[in-house]
Amino acid sequence: MLKAKWWKVLSFVLLLYTCTYGFIVKVPKLDDRMRESIRNMFFHVPMWFGMMILFFVSLVYAIKYLRTANPVHDVYSSSYASIGLLFGTLGIITGAFWANYQWGSPWVGDPKQNGAAIALLIYFAYFVLRGSLLDMEKRARLSAVYNIFSFFMLFPTLWILPRLTESLHPGGQGSEGNPGINGKDMTMDMRTVFYPAVIGWTLLGVWISTIHIRVQLFKLKKEELL
Amino acid sequence: MISILQAMTANNTDNLMIRDGKIYLVMTIVSIILTGLFIYVASIDKKISQLERGEKD
Repeated sequence: MLKAKWWKVLSFVLLLYTCTYGFIVKVPKLDDRMRESIRNMFFHVPMWFGMMILFFVSLVYAIKYLRTANPVHDVYSSSYASIGLLFGTLGIITGAFWANYQWGSPWVGDPKQNGAAIALLIYFAYFVLRGSLLDMEKRARLSAVYNIFSFFMLFPTLWILPRLTESLHPGGQGSEGNPGINGKDMTMDMRTVFYPAVIGWTLLGVWISTIHIRVQLFKLKKEELL
Repeated sequence: MISILQAMTANNTDNLMIRDGKIYLVMTIVSIILTGLFIYVASIDKKISQLERGEKD
């Protein structure tokens, strides 16, 4: 599965479609400041969807490691976590750029922005933890447990608290929609690009993660640690 | 090709970039960058496959 080609080609096709039709598809006229920049929905939002999926896969392998103590699962778990972190960082940077134009400054103290920063810091700490442990087995076990905690912290920081207070992101108190997509902001036309974009970007993240995994496994095999 | 693009953007003329036809430039540039990145990732994939198969590189 890691070496199969079809889903990698699919990722390219979906992203090429996103990056072409995404600029041409008709978008609704929202407010005067937003205008065409709502097209960011095809780039900024899929980063977060991708991150959630990658972190979830990382969680699954962390739990698998705790159940089997197989070091391969630890390699999978940490690789998916690192690419998830990459997507999250790209999401927060693209969000800051977008916020600069739409909300006036790159960081407005919006609950979701703050929540996202906290969530990413928690996952950065996962790698700090890994770096501080020299024994392979201890490192794998402790970081797997921390991984579980980190994943569940995503929910209060990204999904629950931003809904409970007033927020500039869609889904905050007093506004419509869920934290990912506001029903009014996305037309049927946009959805024909948005869903393929999410799948495409996620598949690209998975591809990069699998390459990371294969390199790690190859290195471990060479050092006869596997 | 161009007529297909023009047909797709026919009902979208409130966008200045589309009216000027400049959006096609943005679209092409982004596609070139995307393709370049994918070629890079694919080449790394190929390299690791070769190493795994034990070929000398």
